[in-house]
Amino acid sequence: MIELKNITKTYKKDNSLEVNVLKGVSLEIKKGEFVAIMAPSGMGKSTLMNIIGCLDKPTGGTYFLDGTEVDKLNDDELSHIRNKKIGFIFQSFNLLPVSTSLENVELPLIYSSGNVDLKHRVKSVLESVGLADRLHYRPSELSGGQQQRVAIARALVNDPAIILADEPTGNLDTTSSEEIMAIFKKLNQEGRTIVIVTHEPDIARQAKRTINMKDGKIISDVVIPQ
Amino acid sequence: MSLSKLIKVSFNSLLKYKGRTFLMMLGIIIGIATLTVVVAMTKGAQNKIMQNVQNFGPNSVMISAGGGKAWGPADEHTTTLTLEDVTAIKESVNGIKYIAPFTMHLEQDIVYGNKYATCVIVGVTPEWADAWQWYAEKGDFISDEDVSSLSKNCVLGQTIVKELFGNQDPIGETVRINNTNFKVIGIMKKRGTSPIGMDMDSRITIPLPTAMRRLFNITHIGMLRLYLVDPNRLDEVTKSVASILRERHHITPPEEDDFRVTNSIAIAKTVQGVSQTLVILLGLLSLVALLIGGIVIANIMFISVNERRKEIGIRRAFGARARDIMNQFLVEALIITTSGGIIGTILGIAMSKGIAFVKKMPVAISWEPFAIAIVFSMLVGVLSGLQPAKRAASLDPVEAIRG
Repeated sequence: MIELKNITKTYKKDNSLEVNVLKGVSLEIKKGEFVAIMAPSGMGKSTLMNIIGCLDKPTGGTYFLDGTEVDKLNDDELSHIRNKKIGFIFQSFNLLPVSTSLENVELPLIYSSGNVDLKHRVKSVLESVGLADRLHYRPSELSGGQQQRVAIARALVNDPAIILADEPTGNLDTTSSEEIMAIFKKLNQEGRTIVIVTHEPDIARQAKRTINMKDGKIISDVVIPQ
Repeated sequence: MSLSKLIKVSFNSLLKYKGRTFLMMLGIIIGIATLTVVVAMTKGAQNKIMQNVQNFGPNSVMISAGGGKAWGPADEHTTTLTLEDVTAIKESVNGIKYIAPFTMHLEQDIVYGNKYATCVIVGVTPEWADAWQWYAEKGDFISDEDVSSLSKNCVLGQTIVKELFGNQDPIGETVRINNTNFKVIGIMKKRGTSPIGMDMDSRITIPLPTAMRRLFNITHIGMLRLYLVDPNRLDEVTKSVASILRERHHITPPEEDDFRVTNSIAIAKTVQGVSQTLVILLGLLSLVALLIGGIVIANIMFISVNERRKEIGIRRAFGARARDIMNQFLVEALIITTSGGIIGTILGIAMSKGIAFVKKMPVAISWEPFAIAIVFSMLVGVLSGLQPAKRAASLDPVEAIRG
């Protein structure tokens, strides 16, 4: 379902010094996998995540998502993919600070054309992550774990096939981290493809497959026997 | 993204930042309120003046002794217009229905008992009433017999009746004008204000020969009023009257005329010209206010786009297309300016009513300022919102989400 071939990414800094963040990454992720991508901070794993999520474009190489060559799509088509197929989860939650849980979770539905019963869908997703009693709270009124659960509900509301989580437990205490990982495991059991970027081995160990990166390249790719 | 969703999203985010929204609206509110007040007041003034022009009479030509451009009653000491001129005009100009020569004497004292008032004495013939379409409300007007007998009968305007008689019936009473006793035989209908702002109800009409021979000992007349059969011939009649008078008075242009001749259309044009200039000037002033309002909005929006980078990134990550972001910011600007326009109009109408009440000035509330306000504020919204919206849409999502 996700197929990266020799992906490179080069950033140009202000003084025209080029930084090669990804130096030829090839990777295939099948439907229903639970993958952890491990790398030290600043080693291009977020960039890889953004490219998989169709938020960023690679400098070189090709990316097929469900057989479609992503590089050839325009902004509208990429936005549509992000809306329908991808659910993003970020380390810093990235919730709209002035909006309630309901409004935050509703966000992806605003940009999809489906004729869903909005309120009902939003509520049931928030219930599924255990926040039925926090519908009208703002992020500042919630704990870190609760905020991340709102973010997960937002990622799930459009029923995407792929969940991309960038250091989802990076800002959370151990208990909250365990809660979040439990949710991911459950989602994976339901058949969703999950890709987590992390630098914590404890978190990576809970996935079914671990990919180690260093200096913009994959150095190991291990399937953990269950 | 459907329009209803778009409006909902824009509305919600404006509500989240009430302070900023209000500040952005303020410029438009002030601009539109000013515009509304300006339009209401100038239209009010114009209506009042046009009403006065109506009082002058829609299909009449006025000839007045003495040269110059200023309009108004003739100077009593100007002797250039005579009854012979009147006869000549009557004989050679076509299309005149009524012709009324008269004399006007300003600032005359009229005494009744121990009360007195200042008035304008007008020496008239019976046709004067027809020429002005202005008749006695009670009693009689000056008759042919009054004219032929040089009678000392008079007809009073309503302001004078009020000042001298209060609620008492003046008909049959005797008043003193210029040491001569006059008998009140009638009261004129109320007429209001003339185009140059004179109270037309502070006049007393007496027979023309009485005024000329008994009271003031003159042989010239001050003014002549023509009432035409067909108002479409106003200009034609005005021109032929002028040429007859020039011929009779031996005036060859560019020599200056020793008379003035005008008609209601000419007066209306002059009046409208003046108020038009005023409208344009004040209108420009409020446009400048609107322009500044627009610039303020554009600036605050640029800042707001910068502050909301993260929000833009988040929206992009969850499926907002570049144009969804652009539309959102554009619609936010439109909502701000349109509601600012509506609030401004309402405020402007309230202020106009207040001014009308306190300053006793005429204002005219009409639908035009409202329509202008909506159109202008939407225009300002599009113009000031477009660049910030484009900037917001062009942000790289990855960069934006980092904040």
